[in-house]
Amino acid sequence: MKVNKKPAVSVGGASSEQPVLVVDKISKVYQTNSGSLIAVDGMSFSVNPQEVVSVIGPSGCGKSTLFNLIGGLTPPSSGKISVSGMPVNGPHPSISMVFQEESIFPWRNVVNNVAFPLEINGVPKAEREEHARRFIQMVGLEGFENHTPSQLSGGMRQRVAIARGLASEPKLLLMDEPFAALDEQTRLLLGDKVIQMQQELKQTILLITHNITEAIQLSDRIVVMSYRPGRLKRIIDIDLPRPRTSEIVSSEEFGRYVAMIWDDLREEASKGMAAADSARATT
Amino acid sequence: MANIANTNELKANKTGVSAKLIVRIVSITVVLALWEGIARSGLLYKDVVPTISAILYGIWEVLADPTFFRQAGVTLGEITLSVILGAATGITVGIILGSRPFFAKIFEPLLHYLAPTPKIIFFPLLIMWFGIGEGSKIAMGTISSFFPIVLSVASGMRHINPVYVRVGRSFRATAWQQATKIYIPAMRDPVVNGLRLAFGVSTIGVLLAETKFAQSGLGFMVTRYYQQFNMPSMYGIVLIIFAFAIFVNWLFGKLIVEETQ
Repeated sequence: MKVNKKPAVSVGGASSEQPVLVVDKISKVYQTNSGSLIAVDGMSFSVNPQEVVSVIGPSGCGKSTLFNLIGGLTPPSSGKISVSGMPVNGPHPSISMVFQEESIFPWRNVVNNVAFPLEINGVPKAEREEHARRFIQMVGLEGFENHTPSQLSGGMRQRVAIARGLASEPKLLLMDEPFAALDEQTRLLLGDKVIQMQQELKQTILLITHNITEAIQLSDRIVVMSYRPGRLKRIIDIDLPRPRTSEIVSSEEFGRYVAMIWDDLREEASKGMAAADSARATT
Repeated sequence: MANIANTNELKANKTGVSAKLIVRIVSITVVLALWEGIARSGLLYKDVVPTISAILYGIWEVLADPTFFRQAGVTLGEITLSVILGAATGITVGIILGSRPFFAKIFEPLLHYLAPTPKIIFFPLLIMWFGIGEGSKIAMGTISSFFPIVLSVASGMRHINPVYVRVGRSFRATAWQQATKIYIPAMRDPVVNGLRLAFGVSTIGVLLAETKFAQSGLGFMVTRYYQQFNMPSMYGIVLIIFAFAIFVNWLFGKLIVEETQ
């Protein structure tokens, strides 16, 4: 099996096991009226079992495209993606996606939202509800099983979305800025919840984000993307002790990682800003 | 949304419940008093504006008429059937238009122009096609109810939050599961709203058709009382139809509020 050259084997311990996710020279080119736009350009990395990896990059770097490619919602222009050794051609049962937008169904209560993937797979009602309750508890929403989404806060709704993602017991939980719409304090506290859940389930997670704090708080490794075309700029190992809590954000080491990543990102983000400015100037 | 509206209403009720009620009662009383005054003064033809007691007696007379419930049943059946037929065709065509922009671009402008046209202009044609019996009334109601349903389904389909569809795809829902577990529940609001409008316009269509050319139905009764110059009973049946329409609208309103909660 061909493993990508640069990153992969850098993580201690997990290197002997087969990676959960392998992204191999993946590219996506969109045809637009003004020519072709390279959203993702030859990216390669892998995610090992029980690992939390974040992909970070400035707005417009192709992060969401990468999310859709790995989730199988968008076919790549070239390159290969595989999960536990199986190729990803379209949505794969071993991958659950948690979307950035509010994605839980407003016409279903919490239990039925979380049980949705099981319902799709034909699991009987009583069984899937019992199963769903376990994951509702895991994200700290016990007691809200019969609430409708409109009765919940934004943070609670995203937790329902995460519980729904977990309910199908995926090998990889793929999340696209799940806390982007929330305030910073809620985001940090939800980060703690995600860490607890990850420890409990030994869940492998790939998190797409533009938030440096969130990425460092949660991750074992961070994949930094460049601005247009979206290329792999660097992979950074986060050597912070586990289990972590949100208190870690005030530690000195944490600050060093923030500085390191911001150093990488600043250049890319300012390219993005300049591009946005000039696009505005010409219209 | 409904919750907010309800609480606002509750608040308003708390502060001004008595004032509102008083104004309402006073205005109804004033209208009734004016009516009674005109009726008794004989300023207008006495038989055209009967007294309130005469109208109340007229309602009683209508309800006591042994054929009334059969006639009401005919009208109700025509309306129900036409809403069902309108819904079946409207939802089908609406789904096609909502999911295929190509067809939407061609046909939707036409539907938008046709929608506000009074459908009664088709009635002579419908009589020729379906006869003077219930067929032409049902056809009338079906044409009327088709338009609000097709338009609300088509736009409802386009306004479904695309992320719900992506969720379905990501969990590998089949086309049938997408339709039954995502599209239909996501469109319930516009569909129920379309049905409510459809009920209204099909009631208009059916009753109008019955007053034009018919052998049975409530509209036919209105015309018959009119021809017999039985004004109290004619007012009576008009009020009964009003009450029925208010009741059904209230029912649909409750349905919409329930599902948004």
